[in-house]
Amino acid sequence: MSEAHKDKSVRRDKKTSRVPSEGSHGVKNTAGKTKDSLSNVSCMEEHHDERMVVTLENTYQLGPRKRFPTPAILEILKDVLTNYLEEEEYEVERSRQMAKTLCEVIRARAKELMIRRYKLVVLVHIGQLAGQSMQISSRCLWDPSNDTFASWSFKNTSLYGVASVYAVYFE
Amino acid sequence: MEEFNNGDEAIFNADEATNNIKECIEGVIGGMDYSQSKVNQWSASIVEQSLTHLVKQGRPFKYIVNCTVMQKSGAGLHTANSCYWDNATDGEIIHHIGSCTVRWENRTMYCVVSVFAVAM
Repeated sequence: MSEAHKDKSVRRDKKTSRVPSEGSHGVKNTAGKTKDSLSNVSCMEEHHDERMVVTLENTYQLGPRKRFPTPAILEILKDVLTNYLEEEEYEVERSRQMAKTLCEVIRARAKELMIRRYKLVVLVHIGQLAGQSMQISSRCLWDPSNDTFASWSFKNTSLYGVASVYAVYFE
Repeated sequence: MEEFNNGDEAIFNADEATNNIKECIEGVIGGMDYSQSKVNQWSASIVEQSLTHLVKQGRPFKYIVNCTVMQKSGAGLHTANSCYWDNATDGEIIHHIGSCTVRWENRTMYCVVSVFAVAM
């Protein structure tokens, strides 16, 4: 009985189309002139010929079978930020690309953990150290028993990087 | 009880959200100069007010609101995001996008607010 139930949920997961998308926003200030840039890159992982409207069956599952492991995600963030940013110097084009790359890498590694039914949002900020002050804050409206987040910041002599991962349970 | 809009639309309206958030930001830090002691309180109000406006729409979404306030000093800032979700309900559907980013600046500071809406 339980096996049939498990099979149903496996099939359902495959039907949902997971499409990763990334967007990046950069504010550059070069010699008094402000240049804003916004780029949006979207890639389809699974190729669907026609868009299927899927009606989902009832799973009778009230909560996540496996909770989202916040310490594991924190380790991933520490690891990725340190490895990629340790030797880096702040440079406009490179940092813009680096922010997008970091997002992709963190998301790929979080997906590797294979935590079922969790949607992910990864946010990365990279900035130049120039004696300025800044504040990054976030607030979420969700179910605190199932949903969680992790964030980590890194600093070297010329730049700083802040990465946050939000994990939202899909009922 | 505040008025609660019982909208059954399960699509995130990014344009409406953008306008609401711009108004929130204007209201909180409109004509002010960057102040280290107040920035904490400012970002908390911006985020709270944005969230309240979003909730009032009554749509079946969980929200993540992220706000960055930075002093203008000639330094550069790059922000990127990457999301793993279901594009049909959370991502791009013609004009409706599952996330929106609002940029605002005045003489002394930048403010970037990102909102992500994840369907329940």
